[in-house]
Amino acid sequence: MTDPVSVSGLVKTFGTTRALDGLDLSVKPGEVHGFLGPNGAGKSTTIRILLGLLHADAGTVRLLGGDPWRDATELHRRMAYVPGDVTLWPGLSGGEVIDLLLQVRGGRVNTSRRDELIERFDLDPRTKGRAYSKGNRQKVALIAALASDVELLILDEPTSGLDPLMEIVFREVVREEQEHNGRTVLLSSHILAEVEALCERVTIIRDGRTVDTGSLAEMRYLTRTSIRAELSGPVAGLADLEGVHDLRIDGGTGDDTVVNFDVDAAALGSALRFLDSQGVRALTSSPPTLEELFLRHYGGTTEAAR
Amino acid sequence: MNVLAGTRRLARLAFRRERTIAPWWLLAVVGLGLAMVSYIDRNMPTPSVLATYAETINDNAFFRALGGGDSVIADRGFMTAWRSGGFLYLLTAIAALLAVVRYTRADEDMGRTELLRSGLVSRFAALTSALLVAATVSLVAGALTAVAQIGVGLAPVGSVAYGAAITAAGLVFGSIAAVAAQIGRNARTARAITLFALAIAYLLRYAGDASGQAWMTYISPMGWIHAVQPYRYDRWWMLAVIAGIVAVLLAIAYLLSNRRDLGEGLLPERRGRATAPHLRGPAGLSWRLHRGLFTKWAIGTGVFAIGAAGVGTIVPDIDALPPDSFGLLQQGFGGDGSAGDYVNFFLWAGILLFAHVISIYPVLMIARLRAEERSGRAELAAGTPMTRVRWAAGQLYVTALGTAALFALTGLVLGFCYGLFTAELPGPLGRVIVAALSCVPAAWLIAAVGFLAYALTPRYAVPISWAVWAWTAVLGKIAGPLYNVWGGTPLEPFHYLPNTLAGEPFSPSTILTTVVLAAVLVCAGLTALRHRDFGR
Ligand SMILES: Nc1ncnc2c1ncn2[C@@H]1O[C@H](COP(=O)(O)OP(=O)(O)OP(=O)(O)O)[C@@H](O)[C@H]1O
Ligand SMILES: [Mg+2]
Repeated sequence: MTDPVSVSGLVKTFGTTRALDGLDLSVKPGEVHGFLGPNGAGKSTTIRILLGLLHADAGTVRLLGGDPWRDATELHRRMAYVPGDVTLWPGLSGGEVIDLLLQVRGGRVNTSRRDELIERFDLDPRTKGRAYSKGNRQKVALIAALASDVELLILDEPTSGLDPLMEIVFREVVREEQEHNGRTVLLSSHILAEVEALCERVTIIRDGRTVDTGSLAEMRYLTRTSIRAELSGPVAGLADLEGVHDLRIDGGTGDDTVVNFDVDAAALGSALRFLDSQGVRALTSSPPTLEELFLRHYGGTTEAAR
Repeated sequence: MNVLAGTRRLARLAFRRERTIAPWWLLAVVGLGLAMVSYIDRNMPTPSVLATYAETINDNAFFRALGGGDSVIADRGFMTAWRSGGFLYLLTAIAALLAVVRYTRADEDMGRTELLRSGLVSRFAALTSALLVAATVSLVAGALTAVAQIGVGLAPVGSVAYGAAITAAGLVFGSIAAVAAQIGRNARTARAITLFALAIAYLLRYAGDASGQAWMTYISPMGWIHAVQPYRYDRWWMLAVIAGIVAVLLAIAYLLSNRRDLGEGLLPERRGRATAPHLRGPAGLSWRLHRGLFTKWAIGTGVFAIGAAGVGTIVPDIDALPPDSFGLLQQGFGGDGSAGDYVNFFLWAGILLFAHVISIYPVLMIARLRAEERSGRAELAAGTPMTRVRWAAGQLYVTALGTAALFALTGLVLGFCYGLFTAELPGPLGRVIVAALSCVPAAWLIAAVGFLAYALTPRYAVPISWAVWAWTAVLGKIAGPLYNVWGGTPLEPFHYLPNTLAGEPFSPSTILTTVVLAAVLVCAGLTALRHRDFGR
């Protein structure tokens, strides 16, 4: 089975702005794939190219085995999309918009599924577009996408503006979609907890380029761990050890020493052996938080993570 | 908070935005006023001809009421103001009301006001600066007209009174718009309320003058403005009355704006339906979104077709007038310049006048295509199998049918009412309908050019389609006589239509050529749309 989304070497320029500069992205069948990057990194632009709204300047793009620019109509029958900025028709009610978006796919609309989602997301379908709050506008587009019978969901920051309760509902629904219906989801998001809860794999981009891609576990493994240790005597030679970074040594009580440092995953064993040899009394190790992981990639320096 | 805080800054911003808009309105006002003077000078060159005209006009209530008042007098200045007044008051009123809504509700809709109001900007700043803009535009329109009228040798006092009446029209409808901007929850509603008030004011004034039921004229804002009667009575006190009414309207607007919440109106938001089982495709969506526009146009077209049929009852009396200009007019609409029967030529001229006005409808529909894309709503739709080409095709389909329906309605109402008023039904009814429908392809062509512009350069689509519309109107047979080009120019599509009403043979090749041309442009447009980036 081919990957639902496969992009390589994607380039897109707007006038003099180079929004995408050789971006790679591949989403495997049945996975929820996180798509991350700082503001202006090119996430929405990539997604618009995947929808055939923008024409790529260079690179290859395959969506569900087709060319999104050429075969848009056919491909859109098999996928649903929630834009980053949802604007609704001011005169149409939420219910009307949902029905419209479902019915233009042709075929029969699963009304019970639609009603169930409206219920779960606690949406009033009779409010007119202009009267919805930001979060409720978002829900309208989300319900229309989630109620569609499609293979692939492309969601551009779908939960921006949702309250924490609705965020939980969203996660439940996406998990069900994936588990019971085998749907593939491409999820662009700035909410790391959501990414951690939903995504097997993520792709991180910056300045229109892919900086990292893989499973969260792999990424964690490849990142430094922070260590804080209390040693019974003075310490020497730790700074010279391969893979140890940002060492800080403080005098503890009496002749104790407290050391703080980060260590690469590959050097963790040797660092621990070294500490052991120095008479370690207490040790706390913290795996990098997701924030640290991303901040490193976003900022592009280790310093940014501090 | 200081009630004026931030007004100066907002006003400066508004005036800057207005620089690219107001000049066109001013050009239209002054240009039309001068064109009417030269039209009168050409066709009523001597006092005796003028007197004959005045007599004929006074004999027909429908026609006499066009320019307002209970009678006309044979005076050059009076006749120009009588002929052009209705248009100039209307143009200035529309320019002012659009300006007021543009700098109040429209900004509020866009969320700009919210951003500004969080700074040191008072609740009244936007309203005040919008009113300043509207008042300035009205004042300049009046002043320029007065200067121009004096310049062509009309009585200075009357010219100043005429200019003042024009300014008054802008002020009255600008203040009505200020109230409407507080009542409606969005710019479209505010505009609709004010334009509705304008239409009612016009109709009341017309009906009152035509029927002699003066009370209808007196309750209409348009009636107050026409009551100034420049070059005849120069009723300055009427201006004082209008100023008083403007003051009351402004007080209401400020009171309301002091009480209402930002982004809210007095009209509550109506709830919609929970489902839409019939909203299943691009054409359905387009109709659902824009049916309101069509309905308004259908009502407007119908009402004015009744009025036109009434005005047309003057035509059989035209025999009394000197033949020169009517001969020219008749030649312009396909006659040989000598026929005694003017009716068929009048009806054809009426249909062409409607054709130019109805052609605005497709221009607006194309502008909405652009607005849908720019707002991001089209992106929501384009993520479904309804991709942009199908989406645009739906809009074109509704536009084409809507335009055709408006022409059919015009033919039906105009033909029927004319027969009714002259007591000779069915009379020319069938021929009027056919003639009206023969205009449809040319209006489609205007839409097609606009659509191609939208597909190629979305950013300039709206000005280009308006320019195309203005081109056909200005170079057409209706506007031609104003600058002494009888029969218009061959540079616009309506020119090629034969006057089948007066017995010219129906020309399938003209229809076919226009339809094919429009179809080619639409296909080119769809292809271009298919190949350009889409979205805001
Ligand atoms: N239509 C356009 N014209 C010009 N520049 C554009 C256009 N659309 C996007 N850009 C630029 O392309 C870059 C990528 O924008 P994009 O919207 O894809 O970012 P993003 O990753 O979605 O950001 P965010 O997290 O803020 O949503 C930005 O620098 C943006 O300014
Ligand atoms: Mg984005």
